[in-house]
Amino acid sequence: MAEIVASDEMHEYFNTLEGTLKEEIDIVNDARSRGKDPKPHVEIPLAKDLADRVENLIGVKGVAELIRKLEETKSREEAALALGREVAQGKVGEFDSKSEAIEAAIRVSVAMLTEGVVAAPIEGIDRASIGKNDDGSEYVSIFYAGPIRSAGGTAQALSVLVGDYVRRGVGIDRYKPRKEEVERYIEEIMLYKRVASLQYTPSEEEIRLIVENCPICIDGEPTEAEEVEGHRNLERINTNRVRGGMALVLAEGLALKAPKIQKHVKNLKIDGWEWLEQLISGVKSSSESGEDEETDGKPKIKPKDKYMRDLIAGRPVFSHPSRPGGFRLRYGRSRNTSFAAAGISPAGMIVMDDFIAPGTQLKVERPGKAAGMAPVDSIEGPTVRLNNGDVIRIDTIEEAYALRSEVEEIIDIGEILINYGDFLENNHPLAPSPYCFEWWIQEYRKAAPDAETNEAELKEPTQEVALDLCKELNIPLHPKFTYLWHDIDNSQYTALADLISEDGLLEADGSFLKLPLQRTIDTGMKKVLEDLLVQHKVEGPTIIIEEPLPFIYSLGLDKRLSKGWDSLEHEELLENINEIAGFVVRPRAPTRIGARMGRPEKSDKRKMTPAPHALFPIAEAGGNTRSLEKAANFKVNTNSKTGMIPVEIGNRICPACGVEGFEFRCDCGEYTLPKLFCPRCGISVNKAKCPKCDSKTTCTSMRKIDFKSIYQKAYANIGERDHLDSFKGVKKMMSKHMTPEPLEKGILRAKHDLFTFKDGTVRYDMSDIPLTHIRPSEIGVSCERMIELGYLKDIYGKPLTDSEQVLCLKVQDLVISYDAADYILRITQYIDDLLVKYYKVAPYYNTKHIDDIVGVLLMGLAPHTSAGVLGRLLGFTTASVGYAHPYFHAAKRRNCDGDEDCVMLLMDGLLNFSRDYLPDKRGGQMDAPLVLTTRLDPSEVDKEAHNIDMCASYPLEFYEATQNIANPKDFENTMDLVSGRLGTTLQYEEFMFTHDTSNIAAGPLKSAYKTLGTMVEKMDAQLELAKKIRAVDAPDVAERVLTSHFLPDMFGNLRAFSRQGTRCVKCAAKFRRPPLTGSCPKCGGRVILTVHEGSVKKYLQVSIKVAEEYNVSSYTKQRIELIGYDMKSLFENDKSKQMGLSDFM
Amino acid sequence: MKEIKAQEVFLEAGYQISPKAVEMITSHSAPNDLISYILENVDESLFVIEAEHINIESFEKEYPDLPKECLDEVPCSNDTSTSQVSPVPSTRSPARSSISSTPSPTSSSATLRDERCFSDSNGQVNNINIMSDITDMSTCVGEYMEFVQYFRNRYTKLSNIIRGRVTARPIESLNKNRKQSSGIRRGGGGDYNETSIIGMVSEIRTTANGHKMLQLEDPTGSFPVLVHQAEKDLFEEASKLVLDEVIGITGSMTNDGSLLIAKKLVLPDLPNISNRREGTWGKAVFTSDIHVGSSTFLEEEWCGFLDFLNGKTDNEQLKKMSEEIRFLVVAGDLVDGIGIFPGQEHELDILDIYDQYRKAAEYFDQVPEHIKIIISPGNHDAVRQAEPQPRFPERITSLFSDRITFVGNPALVDLDGVKVLMYHGRSIDDLVASVPGVSYQEPEKAMVEMIKRRHLSPIYGSRVSIAPEKQDHFVIDPIPDILHCGHVHTVGIGNYKSVLLINSGTWQSQTEFQKRVNLMPTPAKVPVVDLSTLRTTLLQF
Repeated sequence: MAEIVASDEMHEYFNTLEGTLKEEIDIVNDARSRGKDPKPHVEIPLAKDLADRVENLIGVKGVAELIRKLEETKSREEAALALGREVAQGKVGEFDSKSEAIEAAIRVSVAMLTEGVVAAPIEGIDRASIGKNDDGSEYVSIFYAGPIRSAGGTAQALSVLVGDYVRRGVGIDRYKPRKEEVERYIEEIMLYKRVASLQYTPSEEEIRLIVENCPICIDGEPTEAEEVEGHRNLERINTNRVRGGMALVLAEGLALKAPKIQKHVKNLKIDGWEWLEQLISGVKSSSESGEDEETDGKPKIKPKDKYMRDLIAGRPVFSHPSRPGGFRLRYGRSRNTSFAAAGISPAGMIVMDDFIAPGTQLKVERPGKAAGMAPVDSIEGPTVRLNNGDVIRIDTIEEAYALRSEVEEIIDIGEILINYGDFLENNHPLAPSPYCFEWWIQEYRKAAPDAETNEAELKEPTQEVALDLCKELNIPLHPKFTYLWHDIDNSQYTALADLISEDGLLEADGSFLKLPLQRTIDTGMKKVLEDLLVQHKVEGPTIIIEEPLPFIYSLGLDKRLSKGWDSLEHEELLENINEIAGFVVRPRAPTRIGARMGRPEKSDKRKMTPAPHALFPIAEAGGNTRSLEKAANFKVNTNSKTGMIPVEIGNRICPACGVEGFEFRCDCGEYTLPKLFCPRCGISVNKAKCPKCDSKTTCTSMRKIDFKSIYQKAYANIGERDHLDSFKGVKKMMSKHMTPEPLEKGILRAKHDLFTFKDGTVRYDMSDIPLTHIRPSEIGVSCERMIELGYLKDIYGKPLTDSEQVLCLKVQDLVISYDAADYILRITQYIDDLLVKYYKVAPYYNTKHIDDIVGVLLMGLAPHTSAGVLGRLLGFTTASVGYAHPYFHAAKRRNCDGDEDCVMLLMDGLLNFSRDYLPDKRGGQMDAPLVLTTRLDPSEVDKEAHNIDMCASYPLEFYEATQNIANPKDFENTMDLVSGRLGTTLQYEEFMFTHDTSNIAAGPLKSAYKTLGTMVEKMDAQLELAKKIRAVDAPDVAERVLTSHFLPDMFGNLRAFSRQGTRCVKCAAKFRRPPLTGSCPKCGGRVILTVHEGSVKKYLQVSIKVAEEYNVSSYTKQRIELIGYDMKSLFENDKSKQMGLSDFM
Repeated sequence: MKEIKAQEVFLEAGYQISPKAVEMITSHSAPNDLISYILENVDESLFVIEAEHINIESFEKEYPDLPKECLDEVPCSNDTSTSQVSPVPSTRSPARSSISSTPSPTSSSATLRDERCFSDSNGQVNNINIMSDITDMSTCVGEYMEFVQYFRNRYTKLSNIIRGRVTARPIESLNKNRKQSSGIRRGGGGDYNETSIIGMVSEIRTTANGHKMLQLEDPTGSFPVLVHQAEKDLFEEASKLVLDEVIGITGSMTNDGSLLIAKKLVLPDLPNISNRREGTWGKAVFTSDIHVGSSTFLEEEWCGFLDFLNGKTDNEQLKKMSEEIRFLVVAGDLVDGIGIFPGQEHELDILDIYDQYRKAAEYFDQVPEHIKIIISPGNHDAVRQAEPQPRFPERITSLFSDRITFVGNPALVDLDGVKVLMYHGRSIDDLVASVPGVSYQEPEKAMVEMIKRRHLSPIYGSRVSIAPEKQDHFVIDPIPDILHCGHVHTVGIGNYKSVLLINSGTWQSQTEFQKRVNLMPTPAKVPVVDLSTLRTTLLQF
């Protein structure tokens, strides 16, 4: 493979990681050869690059080499298409049939397009098959399954193009749809949208255009329970149910990504895709209003309320779309933002009742759909009015805590820091930048290139300095004294100027301005001051404004407070001010970003429900808690032997001594084989298919095993005593051969209070937040240890001596929450126990304290993907998030918009993971470390990361261009982006940021959403906050919660109640309808309802209350009223009512 | 008449006939008429006509003194042309004795709750008699045992109907045999294996070899039944089975006693010869799914219909017809309702539910006094969604004039001797999805399936919400003269074994939802039924 370009220091870093990795693999290989694991060696293949990963993931030999060859001359996407064609033509790999070759070709192409990381190529494409057109020619259909979602729109769409490209290669005709099939697609996609929601829903015409012209038949497995109503039982469509994979590929793939496909079609000169042109031009005309398109030639940013849809109780709205008082956009990148994570002031998090914590997801108006939140204290916090009438901005956490209880209204919720790269990635027009310090200082420097620049002083100038600079250099007024003039109108401006002119009292030295409180309130000018964000204090009957001179001048008043103007000429107030004031005043907050809470942050151990310690099946013997101890003492009936339990388990045979059992390794040391038989003919056959009836063979059957002796032997083997608080197994193995893992592993996990996931690993989940720079002090690691780990110099090149120095984070180093660290510590101790007691080798970690785990190797793995990424634990944070370099997140194919994924201890994965434990069903291969990326190459991570800007400041032209809503692409070459650094040593080093933050863990530890108890409490808190924030319309929030959460919930549960299935409490058997016998026909147990009256009614009272209190629309009120009557009619007996019972209730 | 001749006639018609039956016919005073009558009414699935299939009483009651050609005037459903307007009712006096002669309903809720007499302008009386309706009888509070009782009641009612035709044993007894060692049972006589059971279908699946596997359940247990693909006719019948209907199966047990191989399938279908209805004079108009308040409500057409009821028409035939109308029957969805589906507020002209009913009341006030109005609710109406639905509550009925009779859904109503079973028709959605050959275009076919099963809504857990009442109000017993549904917005008129089936269409043009699923409604069509002949005329507005 081509060597990664990096500095010596980085090479040393990679070599250290790989050296330790190799050491660990050697230890594990030795250990595994001694135990009863499925294989005597590590089961996670290492992949240094993309080519390796693709080959390992799909398993077509020779692909890696071909990829490397193709990548030399072609772009990733072109290479993927070429690769597909070569595979289909049989240049690599061997296939039995045409359709198999086509299938493999599509899979490798999609794998390559998705960096060989996600599960889509193995799980999302079920198969490709060849069908017959009505004219007798053949066509290719691709069967997509649900997990194709993880490929993303572009790769989904390209997979269709690959299909077309390869079918031409092997000479198959195009798909010619029948009329009813086209209509079926339309109905089905609309139905899918209703039941599962789509990012983009194509219009009927678009779907028709795509289906009629697409040369490949996009088919799929049924994924939803819903069936189409109109176009049923079509000959060539095997199901009446909704095919989710098909809908995704067609809508979010082809329809949404048509321009990208067209680019490749043009490059490759494939014919038959001319219709894309029509689709693209058509898409624009029919796109939803509310997008930021140009109107009458003048670009404009319009409010978008999409993020407000589907509001959920307890997840508050922070700002209605683009409303004054909402988040004020500020461009820039802090060391813990970018890559779909945005920064807000930690003081704001606290003032907004702790609903936002680091890592909490916010659904935002722009530029993307959602963003993870990170604390950045170098931007402005919220401005509030206290109970005593004071209006102040709260920038520090201390103030926030001290004043929170006195806040009467949150006039402005503060700034939100979003980097340029996020606008570029989302291709969102650059919204006008506010006039901020970063912009001002550049105008200052431009005007006075030789002046000495003391940044600290310039950041917080006195009013005199600010005014002098305006005068001397003829630059706009400093942002500190620039108020939100664009939020008031000319008449308010005039009234305010008149009031101050008439009733204001300016201190002789100009240090403060006094206004009579009552009159200011009566004239409505207090509110205007608040809207302008002019901070002031109320002392007795007087309002006091400090440093008022720039404000007074901005009003066109002089030092004697006499008005120097009579009338306002322009419609735009700011134009008038610029004429009157004698200096330039720029818009302070031209762009507001609406936001509401998405999902809360997460930092918690991964637990299945119920959470097992061991992958050992015990069927019903362990009761509902799956207790292994209970199973060991289980008796089928009073006369039977204790601990003999019936379970479904795989039967294996030892090829050496012929002994049958269920373990992977015979006591004689030989590895066993599954003893296969045909479940139909009952004959024993050692093949995957029965030679007699062609059905699939299996080795599993219901057998009685002596669990008690297994249990006791396992304890004895590792010398542990049987006194665990809780020790749980599973009901049934989900894997193909149903072979359990050694019980000893479970005992030791239970001892250390660890839970296993479906693949035998122990995992910890955290919300993803990016981090590019660290201070040793904030991650709890000493300078000495940092130096040992290779952190020698800070960002300015100075040697590391002080733990407050800022260091550039190495790309595979992770900062995890303390709770995660505690769990990892226990995993290391468990691994040591396992090495010593089970494998009988030397311990490896020898850890006692969390300090001991700094530097251990971890593995990051995201849901829906199948490739782990090697990482190293660097430090800890009190925030409930997993901080890592954006490259690291991108390598897992995650951005930081509020998603979460897991880390596991590398050694745990090496030692305990096995493919033999993975569930034998759709999606079973997902979320499992099928390969491990050892070295992070920025060229091979998700392309999204290439759009991150890494500079210390944005150029002046940038700020100016945003005023005209420029296209972000215009700055692609000016900005210092990752994409520009690829292939140089700078791709790993010398990153910068525009805004610092003093503490990456500032703000609440947990979102209030998680600490509040019931849904009603959450809802109350949400509405309380809504009432406090000026930018939020509380009745609208109440109405939205009712119509998008409570009413559908009640309606749904009411429906479910009347159509519900039942369940046996004893054996958990489920019945579509209650059995006529009344009790469980399987075990005679008591049968109960699955939907209860309580769950139907739970939101009724609170809905009635909220509807009244917030006076929601009468339509919504009536809906609640009717559903109340409906419940009453269903749950109340007419007869007993006649007797007057209801009178007592 | 000679016995041989009678046999020949039946053989020619494709039936065997038992000697006893022949004796019955030849001994009758009018054997030829009787033969014609039997052949008219015989169940086509019958092979051998037994004595029990000949209902001499009903024959004599139906045709005591009619001239011969009247036999041809069996109500004809397919005759739905608008041009054909039936003649003025005969001079026969209205059958006033009908109340006493109606079979008393079996369900406890079916007491004669409401018995009103109305006099129209001519001094004639329009009797409306509600025979079965859930209103004020709902006892459910949502407990598990109520669900069990509800299905047991269904089983009891339907199995009693089947039991007359099949000698069945409890399923429990089959399971007992199964537990015994399998070898011992064999070696008995040929008939030893012939077994019949009556059960509720709890599972239908197709085996790998294409056979149908059913799970039948009765209150004693559950048992699997296999229908062989090779048995063409039987398999065809079985492929129309739906979940939760009650059927009888006769078949033979497999060697190990673990499976019943079906040979014969018995539905609780109508008897082949049933009493001909009494009939009465005048006409009844059937409609449903008016959807007042919806932006797709066809107000103009609807007002045209009201004009017709008021005799405001230039067409003499229509005018004459309107004068004969005694009843207006409305099977649900009076208004479009609110919150019935997501985003409904965008498709409404009237957003207030009570305003919708007020508007509807205004329309019904325009119906002339001599026409009696019966209204039952549907899934868009402001009553509980779970069926059976009670009639509108006081807060809604009070908006309407007193002369309207409100009933629940379903409801069996006696219109001066003609029994009308009103059911909104939610279950048609399920039947369309489950029974091959049943479509939204021909809703009367779905209604045939209801009658065959003697159940309005057999399938549980799909689209129909049920309230677990003590009685299964969906069981069709007694047999109505007319089954009236709506819901699907397509008009369908049919006839099944002397029951007139009417799906009365809608007053709403194609909705957004219907566009999506490609449903074409047939709005503003009104079936008018002559109550003496059950001849139907379809009017288009």
